[in-house]
Amino acid sequence: MVNNYQPRSLQEALNILANESAIPYSGGTDLMKKPDENATYLFLNKVPEMKNIVEDMNYIRIGALCTFTDIIESKMTPSMLKEAASFVAAPAIRNFGTVGGNICNGSPKADCALIFFVTDSKLRLVSKRGERVVPIAEFYLGRNHTILQKDELLVEILMNKTGLDNYYFKKVGARKALTMSRVSFAAILNVKDGKITQCMTAFGAVGDVILRRKEIDEMLIGRTILEAKAVRENYLAAYKQAIHPVQGRVSAEYKKAVCMNLLDDFLDSKGI
Amino acid sequence: MVRFILNGTEVGSTALANERLLDVLRNEFRLSGVKCGCKEGECGACAVILDGRLANSCMVALGSIEGSNVLTIEGYRTTERFAVLNKAYAIVSAVQCGFCIPGMILASECILARNPNPSEAEIQTGISGNLCRCTGYKAIVAAIDTAAKEGQGLW
Amino acid sequence: METISKSIKKKDHDSKVSGRALYVDDYVMDGMLYGRLLRSSKAKARISNIIIPELPDGYLVVDNHDIPGENCVQIILADMPVFAEETVEFVGDPILMVVGPDFKEVERILQRIVVLYEELIPIFDMCKSEMVFFNYNYAKGDFDKALEEADHVFEETFRTGHQEHAYIETQGIIAYPNCGRMVISGSMQCPYYVHTAVTKALGYDAKDVQIIQETTGGGFGGKEDFPSILACQTAAAALKADRPVKVIFERREDIAFTSKRHPSVCTYKVAVKDGMITGMGIDVILNGGAYTTLSPVVLQRAMICSSGVYKIDNLQVAGRSVKTNTIPNGAFRGFGSPQTIFAIEMMMDHVAGKLGIESLEFREKHMVKKGDATATSGKYYFHVPLPEMIQRIDELTDYRAKRKLYQQQEGRYRKGIGLALFLHGCGFTGSAEGELIKPVVRIRKTTNDKVEILTGNTDMGQGLKTTFSKIVAETLDISNEQVLIENPDTARVPDSGPTVASRSIMTVGAMLQRAAGKLKQIWQTGEEQIIEENYVAPEFMIPFALQEFRGDAYPTYSWAVNAIEVEIDTLTAESKILGAWGIYDVGVPIDLNIIQGQMQGGFLQGIGYASIEQIDYNAQGIIRNNNFSDYIIPTAMDVPNLVTKIINNPYSHGPYGAKGAGELPMVGAAPAYVEAMENALGVCLNKAPFTMADTMWVLQEVLNNG
Repeated sequence: MVNNYQPRSLQEALNILANESAIPYSGGTDLMKKPDENATYLFLNKVPEMKNIVEDMNYIRIGALCTFTDIIESKMTPSMLKEAASFVAAPAIRNFGTVGGNICNGSPKADCALIFFVTDSKLRLVSKRGERVVPIAEFYLGRNHTILQKDELLVEILMNKTGLDNYYFKKVGARKALTMSRVSFAAILNVKDGKITQCMTAFGAVGDVILRRKEIDEMLIGRTILEAKAVRENYLAAYKQAIHPVQGRVSAEYKKAVCMNLLDDFLDSKGI
Repeated sequence: MVRFILNGTEVGSTALANERLLDVLRNEFRLSGVKCGCKEGECGACAVILDGRLANSCMVALGSIEGSNVLTIEGYRTTERFAVLNKAYAIVSAVQCGFCIPGMILASECILARNPNPSEAEIQTGISGNLCRCTGYKAIVAAIDTAAKEGQGLW
Repeated sequence: METISKSIKKKDHDSKVSGRALYVDDYVMDGMLYGRLLRSSKAKARISNIIIPELPDGYLVVDNHDIPGENCVQIILADMPVFAEETVEFVGDPILMVVGPDFKEVERILQRIVVLYEELIPIFDMCKSEMVFFNYNYAKGDFDKALEEADHVFEETFRTGHQEHAYIETQGIIAYPNCGRMVISGSMQCPYYVHTAVTKALGYDAKDVQIIQETTGGGFGGKEDFPSILACQTAAAALKADRPVKVIFERREDIAFTSKRHPSVCTYKVAVKDGMITGMGIDVILNGGAYTTLSPVVLQRAMICSSGVYKIDNLQVAGRSVKTNTIPNGAFRGFGSPQTIFAIEMMMDHVAGKLGIESLEFREKHMVKKGDATATSGKYYFHVPLPEMIQRIDELTDYRAKRKLYQQQEGRYRKGIGLALFLHGCGFTGSAEGELIKPVVRIRKTTNDKVEILTGNTDMGQGLKTTFSKIVAETLDISNEQVLIENPDTARVPDSGPTVASRSIMTVGAMLQRAAGKLKQIWQTGEEQIIEENYVAPEFMIPFALQEFRGDAYPTYSWAVNAIEVEIDTLTAESKILGAWGIYDVGVPIDLNIIQGQMQGGFLQGIGYASIEQIDYNAQGIIRNNNFSDYIIPTAMDVPNLVTKIINNPYSHGPYGAKGAGELPMVGAAPAYVEAMENALGVCLNKAPFTMADTMWVLQEVLNNG
């Protein structure tokens, strides 16, 4: 019984997935915590099409098999993503863990997934049947549960090229390395001609899925800083309602307090 | 059969593809210098250098390393760079119980290979995935710093 | 600096740095079988049935029926069974072992075994438990009178939690029968403790049990008593299988099911008159877990040092160790003193605050000096270097100035600095050395004039092979290379006592020094010569009466001062350690690098205890955070600025002036850290660990609510 595949091309990988029940293995840094000796693994780390980082007219296209180290070392990836990647675990995990794995594990604690979320990135999912490009917000159904079909692979993440310079990012962890997020928060605010053109926020590790509330962020879009200041309290109140941290090993009260503090600080930093 | 290069030699393993590289190295190739501390990628005791990068061998499935290059402490200890690190670690008595040390030495190599003159903070980041319970890390950081200075030209 | 303090290359450096050193899991023997333990999933229950599936050839199950001697693990008492009989007392209580040639098959069989329980009611809360393992009290002076006459009486309760040793090498034992003997090799601190336990469990004669320590990847007390349990279990398996059996714990198993530091609840009642403390009443409760293990001695030490470095003439101390249906707790570096030193330091700090006196100033007024009586009416016979150490740390850290400065802060980031003054009693508590342990050492000169050290003490990273060698080499005036020392094997070495209690250099080292001195007198080139040396109690000691806790509990004390500076991000409750400074007196360091390494490692381990290490029990008595992702210890990035200084203060009765060193650095980190947090937050705190969640609670509840 064959229990592993090592495809050398995306096509080969998709053909296998179309016919076999195989588990995609990208970096192994999550899967190998509980390897299943009966499972068939599809080792993707030698598939070149999944390891590219290219720039086109609209997007920075990041291959799902890019490791956190690849992200940090690439000249093309935005600083915000680099920063999030640099806080993942420790060097050995960063060298082999991938952004694709980070997304497909479906964990709300995923560091790079948070950045992809807040920037409304798109995911290119490919199977032998065809491909679809979905906004990352639609990818998650619940904790560790995504829309990825058994014969599909996440091949690329499409990040917007522009407007990513003015960012706010904070990962809160219990120690300075090898730490999972207790709370994480990422935000972008762009102002053009005195008006807020973009306001995007996302919270990680506070619910089953990364929290992104476009409709709340929209409260500030189109306003001047002064106008935004006027609705500040409503904005914060809306998030206070929306954030329901899951009570786990870390108290829900703690998580909520940190979320609100960081959001508040983000607004302060923009003069709102 | 998964073929790879182990400490400079071409080898093949018939272990299952989802076997941990750590177990393959220890059990099949009898490389006891690769230590098992947690099997969850959280301690770095099992660290090896895989295709030039520091890796936790407990988190690597055999099936993913076809054609790859694996370097363990057994292979590294014959090098000139090891000799410099060895001397540096000895001068400050950085080795206590020793269990983290093979992984720590390989992490040291990876730091210096990328950055021959690292700052203290860069060294601390470079070994941040290698847990040590004995030393408080201070002597280890000092050793890597000394190796960087003594090993000018080697890295 | 003394000559002997000059650092040398460690004797075990080459083998360890090259990866050649062999630890227990690195050994593979012909015909070796693997064992895994099946453990109770209930915190308290009666076992009504165990259903074992049909076993394939070569696989067997070992349980309490397979113990030929007594089904108990001899530690101090013998209340812990090797394998459970009728009841189980904590989640993890070992019930049986499955043994066989293929590790994965052993695990599969383990999963298929069904244990039927009749659940009983467990007790988890140490404050509610009425099952008292041990109960002591002692007093001196008249505390009740001090209370009556006091201007103020302050009372407060302090709590500390479990701590996991987190040695990077997990527990492991190999047992194999060999011509009627049972041989055990493994990761351990005390081969002779294991010897006693296995001899009893197997019902063998002492000569038929041989214990060999393998290179050990860290102990910290976690391999003091625990290996005895695993050794008995593995020996029974090897005996039944008549084959070598190896048991190596997985990390999750090790965190969830091995001994931990005793949690404590300490209540202090302090009488103050005219700005000075006139009396103290102390109550110590330790959570012993499900069995007694080492609780009596941990409790004794906790109680003996419960008044810290202070002169308290009217003292009343009561202590008890109680049973709960949780992991049986055991030895951990400091052994009761981190718990009560935390409490006394915090109490002194709080009392000072309430009296409006600066904390350090208040503590300095009460510090003991040479000649003062100890808590147990012994004496501080030697110089107490605290004043100069405080001076030095103030110069290094600017403690006094910062402490004042940080009292008034605004803004997102708040800094704080804390200080702890502490001591550690060197060696075994009381008269145990002479009355119970009766250690013996031997040195053997070979025919080619090498000198071999033969003791039962173990190097677990603390550098014993090197320090013992230095003592012998220096005394004999020979090179370090001429001195040989192997991992102890009970077939070859005498029982020089366990490697615990910071006794190895001070007590055993002194015996080696005397033995070497004798050898020097009679040295004959080319001849084999053996010198044996026994323990000699320091003549100045007042014998310690355990019943009354009266006399010299320890011959001398090691002293230290710690300062820790933190910065709290009030938005996230994260705290960054800006600096951690320690000044230590261990008499004379036998090797400066080795002692520095011990101080740095112990200090960081103490900082972990104070801030991020906690064991998370759920309502069913199961440890939830049983892995290194969730039980977190400091990484190299967490305390980048760690500074340790060693002073020279020779101890007349220690080899080359050395005193106990191993545990000291662990003892004072927690109060230094928590005091720093208090300084930053502007509130009184009373627990360790003091975590991020705790910090946020203070920020929200106390500070935001005004």
